[in-house]
Amino acid sequence: MLFLIQYDRGAGRIVKIQRFDDGQQDQADSVRLGLEMDLVRHRQKDEVVLLEAATEEALRKTHRRYFEDLTTLATG
Amino acid sequence: MDARRPHVAQGGSILNAVSKSQVDQLGERIRKNGITEADLQLLDFYRRSFARAYDHVVTTIRNDLGFEPTGRPTKSTTSIADKLARESLRLSQMQDIAGCRIVVADIIEQDALVDRLTEVFETKSLFDRRESSSHGYRAVHVVVRHMDMPIEIQIRTAFQHLWAELSEKLSDLVEPAVKYGGGPEALVEFLLSASERGRLLESFERRLDQRKDWENQREEIADLAKLIEQTKRELADLLQDMIGKAHLWKRV
Repeated sequence: MLFLIQYDRGAGRIVKIQRFDDGQQDQADSVRLGLEMDLVRHRQKDEVVLLEAATEEALRKTHRRYFEDLTTLATG
Repeated sequence: MDARRPHVAQGGSILNAVSKSQVDQLGERIRKNGITEADLQLLDFYRRSFARAYDHVVTTIRNDLGFEPTGRPTKSTTSIADKLARESLRLSQMQDIAGCRIVVADIIEQDALVDRLTEVFETKSLFDRRESSSHGYRAVHVVVRHMDMPIEIQIRTAFQHLWAELSEKLSDLVEPAVKYGGGPEALVEFLLSASERGRLLESFERRLDQRKDWENQREEIADLAKLIEQTKRELADLLQDMIGKAHLWKRV
């Protein structure tokens, strides 16, 4: 699966997450670029990243920073 | 033809369509002025040119090694811009435009996986940051070249991964320099101290694994097991201490 994440670094939390099936790579890339263009136009600095993982559970393990607050990260 | 790489010739790279100097000029503009809409489109074109090599590497890891990596087909714009601002390298020299991450339980599994990766991929460079960390960051990175495109594979143990995630999160919440040894002194000290204890913990685990079948070393095995438990307790205490102080450092 593909996961398009818009992440507010300063706040340390996800603004938006969109999920795509494996066969939707082109669509996911297009949505990612559109989102990034929009952020550039509005001078917003959110991080936008497209990640690929077998499941969302797997993604949440390898990219915990996007999903967990500091305390949960340190103690979970 | 795959729409992700519509302008890239079969078996070629972005340099078939856009010259290396154009890629580097793009990097310079991003470094100096930040990103514009036109440059974002060109950057995206460059990033997407890694797709075929990325697919090959991730598929090989899945099929030949039986691991399920989390992939990042393209490095984020903010990460590229930050890296260009931080380092003197050119955009065409960046080796982690595309890559993936594998987290394993411990250093024993990490050693085994790194060995397998270096067997499976013919052209690669190994960056072992476990004994000599980068501002506390410890991991093994294998950069594979396929179709002359570099693809970075990050291999981390569970502890190395926890440390890296904490460092990233603290960089988000406090200031970006934290990841590179900057920020409040107490926070830098925490990260370096936790990293060093992790290094010790993993060195004890490796020594224990090397001796696990040696009947005549039971005393040393017991000592190592104690050291491992003691180091784990020290790490837990450090983490608790950090959580208690975090509110002093946060921007938000």
